[in-house]
Amino acid sequence: MSSAVRIAREEWRQWLRSRLAVLSFAVFTILLLVTTVLTTLDVQEARHLRLHQQGQAEEAFYSQPDRHPHRMVHYGHYVFRTPPPLAMFEPGVDSVTGQSLFLEGHRQNSAMFADARAEPRAGGFGPLSPAKLYHLFLPLLIIALGHGVILREREARTLGPLLSQGVTGAHLYRGKLLALGALVGFLSLPALFSSIAATALGESLIASMMLYIANVLYLGIWAALALSVSIATRARGVALGILSAVWVLTVLVVPRVGVTSASATLPTEGKILTDMRMNDDLRKLGDGHNASDPAFAQLRTDLLAQYNVNRVEDLPVNFRGIVASKSETDLTATLNAYAEKRMKRELAQAGHLAAYGLVSPYLAVGGASRHLAGTDLETHHRFLREAETARYEFVQGLNKAHIEKLSYVDDMNRNNGEEGGRRARIDAANWQVLEEFRFTPDSANERISRATSKLTWLVLWFLVLVCFGLISARRLTP
Amino acid sequence: MMREFKFMLRDKAVWVWLSLAFVFSLAAVSLGLNEVSQQNAEIAELKQLDRAERRTNLAAQADWGSAAYYTFHITYDPPSDFAYAAIGQRDVSPWKHRIRMLALEGQIYETDANNPDFALVGRFDFAFVASLIAPLLVVLLLFDLRSGEQVAGRLRLIEASAASGAKLWWSRAGLRVSALAVALCVPLIAGGLVSGAPILTLAFCVGAVCVYLAFWTMLTLLLAPATRTGAYNLTTMLGTWLLLCAVVPAILTQLIERVVPLPDGGEIVLAQREAVNDAWDLPREATYEPFLQRYPQWADHTAWNDEDGFEWKWYYAFQQVGDQTAEPLSQSYRVGQARRDELARWSSLISPATLMQRTMERLAGTDMQAAIDYEQDVRQFHGVLRDWYYARLFKAEVFDADVAIETIPTFDPVGR
Repeated sequence: MSSAVRIAREEWRQWLRSRLAVLSFAVFTILLLVTTVLTTLDVQEARHLRLHQQGQAEEAFYSQPDRHPHRMVHYGHYVFRTPPPLAMFEPGVDSVTGQSLFLEGHRQNSAMFADARAEPRAGGFGPLSPAKLYHLFLPLLIIALGHGVILREREARTLGPLLSQGVTGAHLYRGKLLALGALVGFLSLPALFSSIAATALGESLIASMMLYIANVLYLGIWAALALSVSIATRARGVALGILSAVWVLTVLVVPRVGVTSASATLPTEGKILTDMRMNDDLRKLGDGHNASDPAFAQLRTDLLAQYNVNRVEDLPVNFRGIVASKSETDLTATLNAYAEKRMKRELAQAGHLAAYGLVSPYLAVGGASRHLAGTDLETHHRFLREAETARYEFVQGLNKAHIEKLSYVDDMNRNNGEEGGRRARIDAANWQVLEEFRFTPDSANERISRATSKLTWLVLWFLVLVCFGLISARRLTP
Repeated sequence: MMREFKFMLRDKAVWVWLSLAFVFSLAAVSLGLNEVSQQNAEIAELKQLDRAERRTNLAAQADWGSAAYYTFHITYDPPSDFAYAAIGQRDVSPWKHRIRMLALEGQIYETDANNPDFALVGRFDFAFVASLIAPLLVVLLLFDLRSGEQVAGRLRLIEASAASGAKLWWSRAGLRVSALAVALCVPLIAGGLVSGAPILTLAFCVGAVCVYLAFWTMLTLLLAPATRTGAYNLTTMLGTWLLLCAVVPAILTQLIERVVPLPDGGEIVLAQREAVNDAWDLPREATYEPFLQRYPQWADHTAWNDEDGFEWKWYYAFQQVGDQTAEPLSQSYRVGQARRDELARWSSLISPATLMQRTMERLAGTDMQAAIDYEQDVRQFHGVLRDWYYARLFKAEVFDADVAIETIPTFDPVGR
């Protein structure tokens, strides 16, 4: 048996003899297990529910009776975002952004009813998820168990004899790192379970494993840090103080300060303010409900010339439908320009925040986990874009039916008594223009490439800390 | 006492923790003040744009129906003078709405959401520092108080030289924690003076901070005996902190969520949308009957006299009916929200961190209750707007843009 394994086994024996160590270990294990099981069940339920709701929303749309096509534009449609399998480890932005979106003509709605809004305010850090436990609190356990691995030998005066018996500082370091590594390995089992369960549900193996490895690496950073501090200090109280301070700063303070700094440097305008400014732009485009809006005069002239007729009534197409379609196109271009600007700004803010990941591995691992799980800001943006495409397509599909299947004269007489209303309807078969919407995560490669820079930082942190520890271990004196 | 004070000043660790406390509090307060002033600036700009926009919009209309359709109204909930200390629910619930005469249930759930990445990390405000970081600082200041002396072999000597051992440790601990309270509260009070927060609110908040710190002091002295090593004590105290500041609140949150399930919010909007959409195909009486139950005064004014076959008053009547249809769901959503908040209030009896945070948010007017009150204000204003327009629509008054601009109701948050 190599000396490293012997040292590691001895360390484990010491931990198991300490009631406090065993107790904290047990508490964390239970917390991890319970949280993992509960989150897995919740996410599974949400996946089924939203898929079901999506089907229902489509069913409701298709089963609408014959009516005026523009009524269906306003009737609208719901799309739902099904959480990806790895959300059972890292639910990510879902609880903040809401998971359903109402699509209708002439508007881009924001997601309503985010869970966070109706959450009871019980203080603390909010509901727990496996990722939150791993990122926020598990470092505390590693600090509690790991700060003393060298100091214990020093305080028990066994360090001197050990070193004089031919165990070098490097041996000792390897042994202690192995002990802590085994601890990290054991603690990471629930995360491994989440990854395997996600793979069983169709997640790519490589993304799940990367997520697992990123979290192991993060815990490894804390283990290496605890070990380094244990080597460099002379008293347990001091070591614990330093490690607690590092934890408070990098986990509690820096990320939040980063958020405030990001929103102060790159402020975003509220949606209402944007909407009001946008309205100025939109007014210039004309009101698509009003075919006699002066903004469409040119369109009318062009069309009349194109079909060589004198009155819109004589056009082979429905002019009101053409106006609706044209104005939807223009309006959507404006809406998308504003939406893209907003998303770009949000990404810039996220980038600013991510830069703090250099000094806070907590931020780096959180960001990397969300990227890998497919619960990040980018995925949310893609959801918004895909929902917008779905919106535009069904609205324009209905407008096309409006142009081709409903005559202008019938359309103009739509409010003219019951008979007029009946004639201004089109067949419900036209509602099939709505396509099924199923939101799927990005490909594993894409998610991994988004996470790469954050993973690199984690690797660097780990290597730097291990190198530092090794160097100071070589100089270890009793 | 003076001697103890000098002892304390000589301890380098004490200096580190106290200056960290001061820096955290200073940062939290200035960030909070900045946020509040940004919100105030945004409200001022919105109000100004809103007035100008409504003026242009109303001037361009020809009848009351389109005036009501095209004019929006800003409503807002200005941050209180003490909101800088706890941003609270304002981060998740809307504090500004832009509404118009259409069915309110389709408008009131819109949220002006911030970058979702930010909400995941959380905000660095005084409430966070006081309720979650301050206990850690108490622990770090006190965990080695007795065990440190024990290790140094002075414990018996010190206890013997003092009149009462227990009293000595209490006064030592009291001194350190008082210094911590000062470090935390000086920036808070300075911020309060800048923003003009009421003295009573400030005093109450400082009192709450002191009581909270005292609680953690007692807990630490109780759970960190001299017979154990400092490392042991710190480990147990970190565990206690984790339990009281993270695990218990999380369990309470989940419990309350499961005990009081809310109706799916989407259902409310869906019910409203279905009702409004169906109304187009229904006979007018089907709309007017439920409408007139609510507004019997317009029973004699529902005659259909427009040749075009479209009547704005009917359009708004079915918007109203859409809200009425969604009302039971919407009502139970709000009742559920209030119930959850009530349970969270009761739960703070067994969770000090919850109590601390809720107290601060109550003082700052940024708790769930404030959000519910604001929503109620918006509903009430929408009602006023409806009354005003109905009177004009049903009496078929001739539209006059100047009169409209002069007399249209505007939202006034002071009304609360």
